[in-house]
Amino acid sequence: MRPKQKAPLNLLPPTLLFSLWLVLLPGLVRAAEKSQPGVQVKIGTIVATNEADCLDPLLSKMKQQLEVIKYRCYRLLREDSQRVSWLANALFEIPGGRSLLVMPQEYRNNRISLKVRLLEGEKPIVDTTVRVPNRGNFLIGGSAYEGGVLIFSISAATP
Amino acid sequence: MMESCANIQEHLGAWLDGELAPVVGERVELHLKQCPLCLGEKGRIERINSTLKNTLAAEAANIPFAPFWAGVHARIVEERSWQVRVVDWFRLTLTPPRLAWAIPAVILLLLGVLSLERFVPGLGFGQTNLASVESIDGHGMNVALLRESQTKTTIIWLFEDHEAETESTPEPASADPAF
Repeated sequence: MRPKQKAPLNLLPPTLLFSLWLVLLPGLVRAAEKSQPGVQVKIGTIVATNEADCLDPLLSKMKQQLEVIKYRCYRLLREDSQRVSWLANALFEIPGGRSLLVMPQEYRNNRISLKVRLLEGEKPIVDTTVRVPNRGNFLIGGSAYEGGVLIFSISAATP
Repeated sequence: MMESCANIQEHLGAWLDGELAPVVGERVELHLKQCPLCLGEKGRIERINSTLKNTLAAEAANIPFAPFWAGVHARIVEERSWQVRVVDWFRLTLTPPRLAWAIPAVILLLLGVLSLERFVPGLGFGQTNLASVESIDGHGMNVALLRESQTKTTIIWLFEDHEAETESTPEPASADPAF
């Protein structure tokens, strides 16, 4: 009697299949990441003045960052958050008749590339492209506002 | 049912050496009682064994075993270099089954290390947590860029051009740059 012929797949040791699966895993994870629906963009509008020493409790996590800017008082005016698709624009209204236009461009090396445009009405004030670490932030500041300046904390997170 | 001759002859050598299980041995023995062909084959193997044994016994006295055993002893007692010991250690330790499991284990470990940043933000490996500015256009405004690694802060600071303001408006509305 001839021996039963095994299926070719059964000849592969399980460990080899396991290794192959592990090698393919990062690609699968990356593909899954790319299929995620965009970026959570959060804009915090902060007013900095020199009237008295103060720090809004809502800004306590940013204390060290804000201390780099030598103002005495920081208050959070508003905070807006939007989920924005890749290569789509999101408009954030900010005090003083201004607006921020944010476009997530790409995600590479755990960094999100954001194109940001600060507008005063229709007139652009600044255009910038920043690569921000995932779940990280950066600040844009300097616009005069009620005896102080406005600072925008722009943060981005993608799953 | 009578065993096939081919099957019995395949086991004859082992049966003569007493290496078969008793049940199989009994089957061979029973077959030999009924099959002159296999009995003849058995006789042939026995004659070959006998001839070989006699020849070896006659020649053994003439074979110089002493240098052979001396060589074996020298190899046992010789001091091996550390490189040889390392190679031997790897050869004995990294057996194919162990290696087969070690490879996925190493891959899994590397994936875990590389994924740490995902679960523990700020734990970058050779990667700064600072935002990097690729381009800025101030549209006529002055722009200052500050990157401070200790607090992981990147700031784009806008400020008016005071000389231009002085020419156009007597009282500038903007505050001075903070840094």
